[in-house]
Amino acid sequence: MKKKVLVVDDEEGIRLFYKEELKEEGMDVHAAASGEEALEKLEADKYDLVILDIKLPGIDGIEVLRQIKEKWKTLPVILCTAYHHYKQDFGTWASDAYIVKSSDMKELKDVVKTILNRRN
Amino acid sequence: MGYETLEKVIELTDSSEALKKRLDSVADVLSHAFSFDQCAIYLYDEDKKIFNLCSLAGDEGGVVVTTYQEREGLPHHALAMDKPVIANMSDADRVVWRGIEDRGMTGFATAAVYPVKDDTSNYGVLYLKNRHRKVLSKRRRKLLDIIALQLSMTIKTQYCISNLTAANAQMRDMQARLIHAEKLVALGEMAATLAHEIKNPLLSIGGFAKRLSRQFNEDAPARLYVDMIAKESIRVEKLLDTILSFSVNKGFELNEEDINNVVNDALAFFEGEFRRVKIKVDRELKPDITPVRVDREQLKLAFSNFFANSMQAMGNGGILTLRTYSDDRWVFVEVTDTGGGIEPDIIRNIFNPFFTTKEDGTGLGLSIAHAIVTNHNGIIEVVNDLGKGVSFIIKLPAALKG
Repeated sequence: MKKKVLVVDDEEGIRLFYKEELKEEGMDVHAAASGEEALEKLEADKYDLVILDIKLPGIDGIEVLRQIKEKWKTLPVILCTAYHHYKQDFGTWASDAYIVKSSDMKELKDVVKTILNRRN
Repeated sequence: MGYETLEKVIELTDSSEALKKRLDSVADVLSHAFSFDQCAIYLYDEDKKIFNLCSLAGDEGGVVVTTYQEREGLPHHALAMDKPVIANMSDADRVVWRGIEDRGMTGFATAAVYPVKDDTSNYGVLYLKNRHRKVLSKRRRKLLDIIALQLSMTIKTQYCISNLTAANAQMRDMQARLIHAEKLVALGEMAATLAHEIKNPLLSIGGFAKRLSRQFNEDAPARLYVDMIAKESIRVEKLLDTILSFSVNKGFELNEEDINNVVNDALAFFEGEFRRVKIKVDRELKPDITPVRVDREQLKLAFSNFFANSMQAMGNGGILTLRTYSDDRWVFVEVTDTGGGIEPDIIRNIFNPFFTTKEDGTGLGLSIAHAIVTNHNGIIEVVNDLGKGVSFIIKLPAALKG
């Protein structure tokens, strides 16, 4: 069974880019453009991993992370943001990994694989 | 003689001339008015604990002492007694008066030494000498009392003005730095927002260019174009990362730190890279160094930027010397490379944002390092040895004890 991944980012380009890249790794990739949409999708379906941006319109990534960890305790979340310094701030520690966005997908892919393998 | 002399002294001490010039004129007037062979004014230097000769009038052929130690001779005695000393020697060859030795008395028979002081401070002495024995009338002694008082007020006023001027300059300097820091914060916030807004679309551009590149044969012209798009967007991405990593929104978290640890932490990132490009690191870090109050992460970023700069300067290998030491006020970190130094015509630009001599440089490294050090009330000095290398001396205020 393919692993089901949810990409949450308000940038259309990034949603498509991550989707294409991760599909090549054999994953079933879905996307949400806002925190609200992400939570709706998580309620409706079961996922193996969430890749979550922090700066989102409406409820932000940190709040989405909090709600995920409350409702779906074991669902892993990778925070993926343009900022470096959030790593020390705001409760991002609750996530399973913190990655600074880059057009080089190697780091993200490695972390995604490690986390999904851990779940097996 | 009497009121006229006093009037003249007051007129001279009140003038707008420099203090030394005013005291010179007073010494001149006094040596004549009281017909003493020599009239000297000594000023007390509180830091060095000595009396320095400031003004001298009259017989310059005789013995002149330019510096008295704090506890030496008649000046010390007059100040300690808090009253004038009138010393008459039994003969002019003697230099000891009532057990007090004064090398200035050689060849003189009478000395009148007046303390110049007020309740809080010693400013110096007024020192009159005569080769032949001389008797000072009560009236003349009273007059010298008043003149010494006038001198103490003059010197005190001058010191107050100097202190005030210095305090004022310091305040202006601090204000300028504050305005600069505020500007930097505003600029930093704007830059961070802008960088974030640019980075997201840029990632799509770079990411898709890479994906597209994989669909062309290696010799297809389109592959070259697409690779160029990918390469250039990585360059901009790097620039934006530098701006974003220097986030000013975070605020400072100041803690007492051992600067050696911060230097070593920053260095740890570079060790592999230094080995690869054959840079040897010499560490002369002073153990148990005075602590500093700094934001560790920010300082690490600053040192990293210095190291990166040194590494780029030493493309063909070299020696990076890191030295730490301290004095009462500052903790010093010296970063010295053997990269040939900086051309003199560009040296004043090295801390300017976006100034770079490197093809792939962002021009932000040293300007960020400079901003961080300045925000810690530190100072960076650049010692440029053209042909050899450059030393950055980073001075950070020593943490106050207790």
